[in-house]
Amino acid sequence: MSDKWFKNLIIVAVIGLVVGAWGMFQRLTYGHMGMNYGSFVPWGLWVAFDLFFLGLTAGAFLITILTYVFRIKLLANLGPLAVFTVLVTLMAEFLIISLDLGHPLRTYRFLISPNIGSMLFWLVVFITAMWIIYVPWLYFLLREQLITWGNDATRTGHKVYRFLAFGKTDYTLEDRQQDHRRTRLLSFISLPIGIIFFGAHGAIFAILNNRPLWNSALLPLIFIMAALLSGGALITFLAYVYQPDEKLIHPLGHVVLLILLIFLFLEALQFFVGYQSKVTGIVTSLNLIAFGSYWWAFWIVHLVIGSAIPAYLLIRYPENSKMVATACFLIIVTFLAVRLNYLIPDMAVYKLEGLQNTFFHQRLRTEYVPNLNEWLVSIWVISLGLLAFLLGTRWLPVIQAGKGEEEHV
Amino acid sequence: MALVARDLPQEDPLVRMQRDLKRALQKNPTDIKWGMVIDIAKCIGCHACTIGCVAENKLPPGVVYRVVLEEETGHYPQVRRRFVPRPCLHCQNPPCVKACPVTATWKTEQGTVVIDYNKCIGCRYCLVACPYAARTSDFGEWYTAETAELPGKLYGQKAAANGYEAHPATEYGNKWPDRGHGSPVGNARKCHFCLHRLKIGMLPACTTSCIGRATIFGDRTDPQSLVFEMIGSPRVFRLKEELGTLPSVYYLK
Repeated sequence: MSDKWFKNLIIVAVIGLVVGAWGMFQRLTYGHMGMNYGSFVPWGLWVAFDLFFLGLTAGAFLITILTYVFRIKLLANLGPLAVFTVLVTLMAEFLIISLDLGHPLRTYRFLISPNIGSMLFWLVVFITAMWIIYVPWLYFLLREQLITWGNDATRTGHKVYRFLAFGKTDYTLEDRQQDHRRTRLLSFISLPIGIIFFGAHGAIFAILNNRPLWNSALLPLIFIMAALLSGGALITFLAYVYQPDEKLIHPLGHVVLLILLIFLFLEALQFFVGYQSKVTGIVTSLNLIAFGSYWWAFWIVHLVIGSAIPAYLLIRYPENSKMVATACFLIIVTFLAVRLNYLIPDMAVYKLEGLQNTFFHQRLRTEYVPNLNEWLVSIWVISLGLLAFLLGTRWLPVIQAGKGEEEHV
Repeated sequence: MALVARDLPQEDPLVRMQRDLKRALQKNPTDIKWGMVIDIAKCIGCHACTIGCVAENKLPPGVVYRVVLEEETGHYPQVRRRFVPRPCLHCQNPPCVKACPVTATWKTEQGTVVIDYNKCIGCRYCLVACPYAARTSDFGEWYTAETAELPGKLYGQKAAANGYEAHPATEYGNKWPDRGHGSPVGNARKCHFCLHRLKIGMLPACTTSCIGRATIFGDRTDPQSLVFEMIGSPRVFRLKEELGTLPSVYYLK
């Protein structure tokens, strides 16, 4: 990434943090009072963003698996960057979902009074497992460079790198082999953990038999594919920005196109089965997606800008890196609409006849539109993630460690 | 004119329920299984139970434990309004309990689904999991939020709040911190069959406030109780029975 782009993006992130600070102030001072979700639509924009970040994690996860488990040398340069991206997106996910909790300081309850029958508990277990795997993984990938940078007295902050390397000044061949073994082991562990982690997100919704649109074995699969699609697009876009290598971008473009088509097929299947079932709750929810007041989010944002145009670009210009990156960028920026369309419509249907006529309060309605505070908090979290990513790629050797990774994998 | 049985003076169901309750409380607590029967044919849609519950538990804006669903049925000129009071149904197979990741909600030995406000992390997964929308989240709102502040201790926002909503009700028999200083703000909340009243031999507020005596409460395992008798009615049904939640609240058509 050029210095110009880096500086511009830093400015964008700082502006986002400043603007979003108002939302954070509202959230931290007045709790959930200033937010629009209620008791009938208990999960809103922040949960949608949580799922969005999850998707970004998945793409980076995909690359780490392809690189270190399946040993695809072509992607090797992206390995450390992908591992680092997993951690940044996990951080953003953790942050926004914590802000969504009524009592975020009580998260220790997951440890002292867990309910092993709850899918949400298992999700937290797998999120924690991802942290436990990816933090040392990144460390072992960067260790050699950290030692090198720590030894370089001319480098700004070399003492910090020395500290991060635990004071180690030499890196032997044996150390390298040991780190390779460790990263290989962690990558193997991460494969089943990661797949369950992404599937578990879908399962949280799919197991609820009172939610007709969600209650389907297809949903965890759709969530996995959705995660891989948005995340694959992110990594392809990042590859274009950081490693503009045509040999790397083109196959990634093919992968993204394949996942996009599978995802659209699964989505079409969900609509087909849903409409054919003629179950009122499902049909009403699907109608809300396709013909409700946010029809444009589905047809224009998701299907036209986020699917048809990227598919056209990926099919028509598979050898043009810029077009591939543009297609991926469109998929990423429109994917929030997909997440909102999976999350909100099922909750936006009254689950008992007559409930809409009984007790009037804004928290007891199914009409939900995220308000300014919710958007500002989301902007703050995104900006923090962006800042962490930019500074991390500049201050940590995630790009440098990727060079020469072919022999590693 | 000859007298028929229905013209004879009858015992108020409340008196019988009170007697049933007294008998239940003398049992081993683990042998009690609380239950409720709501006779839709008797409900006139006055919402007194909703108001009674709100007053008893000092529920804040947007939090409601017992609503009365209103439906219009039939076609003109044969049109009817139907009222279905809906408390927490205290399912014997409660989806909300399975959903809670930190065991902050559970089913007691007496079949009542309760929440520990000090354990709840406010994730609202139980709200999403409840098929009956019987749980609401306390977002921390105040009735007096828009009240003008005035100097002195008798009038104005602070005085009005201190006179009522600043001090939460003793739900579950516990004293909760002043409103705005912790739970139950930020928590999921729901009907608990007025456990704090039952403990001292009083029927739930919705039951005593029902002017049509449409709400019957008691130990559903006691063959002498009115609630047991009502559950045996051929008119009995439960909401969304197909979900297998086995509610402890029954309805009479």
